[in-house]
Amino acid sequence: MKQNIKYRIGKSKFFKFMVILLAILCTVPLFVILIYILKEGITKINWHFLVNLPKPVGETGGGIANALVGSLLIVFFAALIAIPIGIMGGIYLSENRKSWLANWTRLAVDVLQGTPSIVVGIVIYFWIVKPLSTFSALSGSVALAIMMLPIVVRSTEETLKLLPDSLKEAGLALGLPYQRVILRILLPCGFSGVISGAILAVARIAGETAPLLFTAFGNPYFSTNILKPMQSLPLLIFNYATSPYDDWHNLAWGAALILLIWVLLLNIITKITTRRWKVQF
Amino acid sequence: MTQFETELQDAKSEIINMWELVLLQLTKAKDAMLSFDKDLAREVISKEKRVNAFELKIDRDCENIFALYCPVAIDLRFLLAVLKINNNLERIGDIAEGIARYIVESPARFNIAMLEDIELIKMFEDSISILTDTRVAFEFENTLLARTIFSRDDILDDINKRADDHISKFIRDDASVISQALYILSIIRKLERVGDQSKNIAEEIIFYVEAKVLKHQ
Amino acid sequence: MESTILKAIDFDAYFGENHAVKKVNIEIPKNNVVAVMGPSGCGKTTFLRCINRMHELIEGATTKGKMLLNNEDIYEMHPIFVRHKIGMVFQRPNPFPNLSIYDNAIAGYKLNGMKIAKADRDVIVEQSLQKAALWNEVKDSLHKKGTFLSGGQQQRLCIARAIAMEPEVLLLDEPTSALDPISTSSIEVLLQELKKNYTLIVVTHNMQQAARVSDKTAFFYLGELIEYDDTKNMFTNPQDKRTQNYITGRFS
Repeated sequence: MKQNIKYRIGKSKFFKFMVILLAILCTVPLFVILIYILKEGITKINWHFLVNLPKPVGETGGGIANALVGSLLIVFFAALIAIPIGIMGGIYLSENRKSWLANWTRLAVDVLQGTPSIVVGIVIYFWIVKPLSTFSALSGSVALAIMMLPIVVRSTEETLKLLPDSLKEAGLALGLPYQRVILRILLPCGFSGVISGAILAVARIAGETAPLLFTAFGNPYFSTNILKPMQSLPLLIFNYATSPYDDWHNLAWGAALILLIWVLLLNIITKITTRRWKVQF
Repeated sequence: MTQFETELQDAKSEIINMWELVLLQLTKAKDAMLSFDKDLAREVISKEKRVNAFELKIDRDCENIFALYCPVAIDLRFLLAVLKINNNLERIGDIAEGIARYIVESPARFNIAMLEDIELIKMFEDSISILTDTRVAFEFENTLLARTIFSRDDILDDINKRADDHISKFIRDDASVISQALYILSIIRKLERVGDQSKNIAEEIIFYVEAKVLKHQ
Repeated sequence: MESTILKAIDFDAYFGENHAVKKVNIEIPKNNVVAVMGPSGCGKTTFLRCINRMHELIEGATTKGKMLLNNEDIYEMHPIFVRHKIGMVFQRPNPFPNLSIYDNAIAGYKLNGMKIAKADRDVIVEQSLQKAALWNEVKDSLHKKGTFLSGGQQQRLCIARAIAMEPEVLLLDEPTSALDPISTSSIEVLLQELKKNYTLIVVTHNMQQAARVSDKTAFFYLGELIEYDDTKNMFTNPQDKRTQNYITGRFS
């Protein structure tokens, strides 16, 4: 009997050890990437780097100002499109569990989530870029918005589904019309969940490259015209990292670090907003 | 059966046991009176403690049921009836003991002829029979039987009324029977109260089963 | 003679094909507490929800018959209007967690977009919290969120929120079943106070509560109203055998 117990304790300890080891293993790639990019990129970042345009081939120095501004604009408009639509979609899905429209919508959202980003890019190329006969930041925003949509819809739906029915009933019993119950009770109570879903969606598409290849296309000059091609960080990294020029490699490393910091910040902000605004029941 | 129903059943059995004891006490008192058996009378006096013990126990059991189970409707009426009947039976027990004491104290045996003239023996037997019937009515929730008690109690009241004249006549005829006569008169009064107590018991049974209050009508 | 404030005439309620409430006829007198009791699934909560037209919000739920509030059929009025006149308090206290105590009390007006002057708002909040016996406990923390309140206090806040709308009838669906005995007691005392100004209909599972709290009691069984009488009579001498079996706990 004693032998049996010793064996079982040993087995349990071994299992625990393996679980911890594999968990650490999961974090290794993240740390390796972080440390490597930090190492390579930190030396390249300075004020000069952030406010200047890339120099033509052969000249040293230069910066990523156009890509930085471009990314901000493209992501901003993508969010502007995706967040309202996504929230509305999420509200519809959480309120109508069984209607055929809800089922089809859920299916569409799931499929969209799995669609390769490059496919989205090509589709937008045919829908928007070709008819307008120009690459544009707007088309890039639309492509990114399509990729953001499933995340916003799903997180809104899940957040609202978690809210107890009693909240809705309390509102209805006070004689509130349906849309007021949603807008003035449910959404405010689920605010932290909805917002964190939106921020996460932004973090997700911040570094997407493939959709922008055929839509925003890239622009070596500084531009704020969303109806014309625009540079963005991922595109810059894509182009410059594979180029044969060292100067451009440096820019790519710096840009990669900026992007990483951006994504990290967004995730941290999500955590903070969730905690601060979370409504306790 | 729930604990509550078990307790109600137990309360019912307890009071029926008390009923039997009190009936036995009355019967023994009657026999002691007829055969002038002072030992039998002393038995009745000592058994009175048991009657009192029954009363205390039933009171306590009812109190517990009220506290724990908050009975309503028929269960509530049942327990209220049990409490009151408990009281009535205890008083009847006292009456039996009182009669037994007279037998112990009386120096001479009672004149059977006198007893028959006054219808004391009939009164005794009737009161025992009425009390027995209340017990049956209670046990089987028979309100028809309970209702017969009222007219039968009237018979006891009549015997009580006629007794005064009979006793006076006896005393006028033979002054030496005075002490015996007084005992007999007291026994008649006591038996009349047994009838009244039985009437009260019948009213309680009708209240419990039919929720009708016949008191003071 | 007490006047009737609410009257149901041949009232039926369905969940699709399921006939949950069958031909109920009942008159609720003004300023009374009426308890509605019965075993699970007897239709009492369904019936209650028909009174403030919450029943029809469920998919496939329908009703038949008349429900009169002061002799007007509530099924011919706009449901929103009905719910302003007939308030409801639920089993689980459900104050709005994102609003302060002050805002919760005034929620009926604020969320409905009804504009009221600040001074009037303060009066409404104070009066409803006073009537709900909660004012003294929260008057110094009106602008805090209600999460620190105990279950009983939260329920009283919900009551304050409902009565701030000055309803004529207040419906309570097992208002104390989620509360501890002391909170339950305080709510029961409150109900006796509230009946001076409102008419209360309380659905309860707890027979002793129905006995303690109500003036009249209605017993529902399998969707039908079996017996409806003064509470005292119902509990000392019920007329129907089913009622007696239920209140003496002999239901199998």
